[in-house]
Amino acid sequence: MGAAAAVALASCGGGDPPPRSGPGPGSGAGLLNSILAFEHAVVAAYDAIAELLQGDGLHYAREIQARERNHVQMLQELLRGLGATPAPGRTHAEYARSFPVLDSPDAALHFAEDVEERLVRNYLEALAKLPDTDLRRPLAEIVAEEGADLAVIHVLRDEPAAPTAFVTGTL
Amino acid sequence: MTKRAGNDPARPEPTLAADPVPSTADRIPPTRRGFLRAAAPALLAVGAAPVGAATAWAQDASDVEMLERLLALEHRLESAYEAALRRDAIEPRLGATLRDQEREHVDGLEKALSGYGRRAPRATVPPPELGDALADRDSFARFALDLEAETVHAYVDATAALRHPGLRQPLGAIMANEAQHEVALRESLGESLLSV
Repeated sequence: MGAAAAVALASCGGGDPPPRSGPGPGSGAGLLNSILAFEHAVVAAYDAIAELLQGDGLHYAREIQARERNHVQMLQELLRGLGATPAPGRTHAEYARSFPVLDSPDAALHFAEDVEERLVRNYLEALAKLPDTDLRRPLAEIVAEEGADLAVIHVLRDEPAAPTAFVTGTL
Repeated sequence: MTKRAGNDPARPEPTLAADPVPSTADRIPPTRRGFLRAAAPALLAVGAAPVGAATAWAQDASDVEMLERLLALEHRLESAYEAALRRDAIEPRLGATLRDQEREHVDGLEKALSGYGRRAPRATVPPPELGDALADRDSFARFALDLEAETVHAYVDATAALRHPGLRQPLGAIMANEAQHEVALRESLGESLLSV
């Protein structure tokens, strides 16, 4: 599954063109909206992931999903602050059609790992590109949370929480 | 306007011979060697982007000052894990992993500082609480969690405020790893993996 799963997920969210919005080029609104579109997809993905998990896996899938919902809200607030229109989400059915086939807890956690890696990567790229310190700070806080979420998925997969010294999000 | 150390626009940008400048995260590999090869030009380049507002220390600090603070925090973590390993105050495999990763962060930050023509500051004195924390594994894990949380906070400040855009991505990659250390320490304590 690997990278292909995350690419599939990107095709149902993160790859969307940002909606037409007020701020001009260079404001960061387009970049934030691309991330928001992907976060919408991630929230839906965790429903599919959670369906296959029980016990600790289910508990943490729901906890991480709640954190991703918070990230959606933070991004929406940042975009509104820029005078931009936040990207809308799609229906769960639309997202679900683009997810990989998940037929086991291991497949679900593998998908979750791919998703979290891509999130880290998206946010790290945004940190380098966003022009405003006040936009970068909340995104830096989110990067830390995504790093922790990825570590939790590692633990659920019986892997070390922190396998490498630099979490690049490289798939 | 006062010229800040490390942000002299007249200073030539140092580069690593044979290391092409990476333009996107697509080129950042997950290994230490790969990371340093990819990030070194960014870590070594000197930037002069406008500064915005962040928290107090980051708001007024130059990039160099922020890097020096992060380096001091990394040295403190490395020393703490090293002491814990010597005193059996951490599970050996976990302790070695965390210590070694802090060393990799130190290497990266020292490279960044050398790019500004600055020598890395000497290691700081261990905090007095370390002695008590080494009494047992749970005490040390809680102590280390506090250090890691403080370090993550410092990286958030720095990553937001750094003038040099090429530094934000590699420092963000370190920050995410420090957040993973917190998860590893909570796991060792048998506590909930995510902070509330």
